[in-house]
Amino acid sequence: MNLLEVNELTIQAATQQIMKRISFTVEPGNWLAIVGQSGSGKSMATSAIGQLLAPNLKADGEILINGSNLLKMTAKKMNAIRGKQIAYIFQEYQNSFTPFMTIGKHFEEYQRTHLQVSKTQRLQNRRQALASVGLGEEFADRYPFQLSGGQLQRTAIALALLLKPALVIADEPTTALDSISSFRILQLLERLQKETGCAILHITHDLRHAANYADQVLVMKEGSILEQGDRLQIMEFPQHAYTKSLLEAIPSFGQAGE
Amino acid sequence: MAVLKMKIRKRNWKAGMLVTLFILVGFLAAYTFLFLKHDADMVDLNSRLSPMSLLHPFGTDHLGRDVMTRIFLGAQQTVGYAFMALAAAVVIGLPIGLVAGYKGGIIERILMRIADAFLAFPDTIVAIVLSGLMGPGIENLLLAIVFVKWVNYARLIRSTVVNERGKEYIAMAKVNGLSDGQIMRKHIFPHIIGNVLVLASLDLGKIILLISSLSYIGLGAQPPAPEWGAMLNDARPYFQSMPSLMIYPGLAIVTVVLISNVSGDYLRDKFDVKKEVQL
Repeated sequence: MNLLEVNELTIQAATQQIMKRISFTVEPGNWLAIVGQSGSGKSMATSAIGQLLAPNLKADGEILINGSNLLKMTAKKMNAIRGKQIAYIFQEYQNSFTPFMTIGKHFEEYQRTHLQVSKTQRLQNRRQALASVGLGEEFADRYPFQLSGGQLQRTAIALALLLKPALVIADEPTTALDSISSFRILQLLERLQKETGCAILHITHDLRHAANYADQVLVMKEGSILEQGDRLQIMEFPQHAYTKSLLEAIPSFGQAGE
Repeated sequence: MAVLKMKIRKRNWKAGMLVTLFILVGFLAAYTFLFLKHDADMVDLNSRLSPMSLLHPFGTDHLGRDVMTRIFLGAQQTVGYAFMALAAAVVIGLPIGLVAGYKGGIIERILMRIADAFLAFPDTIVAIVLSGLMGPGIENLLLAIVFVKWVNYARLIRSTVVNERGKEYIAMAKVNGLSDGQIMRKHIFPHIIGNVLVLASLDLGKIILLISSLSYIGLGAQPPAPEWGAMLNDARPYFQSMPSLMIYPGLAIVTVVLISNVSGDYLRDKFDVKKEVQL
């Protein structure tokens, strides 16, 4: 069975249709990259999955997670799924953490919401999670503004994977980072995906990221899906002109100065 | 030692000032209650308008009542009433502002239009009108003050919340499965508490002035209550012969307003975690 199944998802604002009947699926343990330029609606799709859409936007269609429709779910059920089955990593690492709470407190609150385990167990989980992204226990006592961008984003990954969710939605997790940090973040995500077996829905505007890490690639433009398929198929034999132009826009060595 | 002094001078002058003021007030209060056993309402026409003495450190008023005793009992009244009015205003304004800011949409519009309607009236005028309609008396005056003050809190809190609700950490808390109530309590509330405390401590001064000024024109505390504004009012006819009768309640008002303003600044600094942690 598919882990996530999006059927004919349409997102409607007051006057215009932002997303036009899109459908895609994510299988357990798979890495799906949604690629598109700014404004293509790729982030909107992930907001709809977490029911984070602004109140003036209306979503129609079906979003099935393990067979149950998120769009028809009560707030309480939704809260049980959020965080436990679906976890998010956001682009804006600077604001991803509540500024007046220490990192440790975020871990504590997150676990207390979903787990019924002892404090020692929670602390041990936290230590393991921080260690898995290469951060020491001392980071737990720090406030978010005391961490660098890369450290924050690694903490966000540790937090997202803390409860071993089946699906991690990474919404442009590396866009605000420099290229070395983003390389490390993606390497880390890839390693942790292999370790925990979670599926990843990776939103990016950078086809290089999709090319290097994803199993499946989906190309979006102006709220519609242009093309989707295996990574190799998209990278080597793009069908759509837009995909071809995206591929051509990838800078490669040897072009500089021409 | 020199370093310590520097530190005190640089960082804690507000705390130092507060401590000094509290010690001064505490000393005077102790003197009143240890050595003077006057009844604040005890009329003694034989010793009316007497100047300062050991028995009457602040002198006596036009009815021979001890001014110092009245000032200190008045503190209970004036400051106590101001606290009550303030607490009620915050208790009403806080949930309204929080919900309006967090929920947005139609709820926000309705709540904020109501608040706007209240805001359209100037404080003093509304307080005077309400006291006039319901009759003079401190209870009605307090109601009037709550009536005009809660709007400030609702608006301040709403604007802070609106500022924060779009940030990613709220979305993060949401996708981590926290309920709206939890998010408001744990992730938004601490943001506004600092602002609210600062506004409240500034407001405390204003409310004391409002109570005193309305008591001064006879709408607030009724005689023989030792309210500071009412005392100022009583002292008016003796202003030229006995100016100290107006100076003492005036100084009392100034002191409390000052204390509340300085503590407001101090609290705001304390609530800022960034200042607390060495970067």
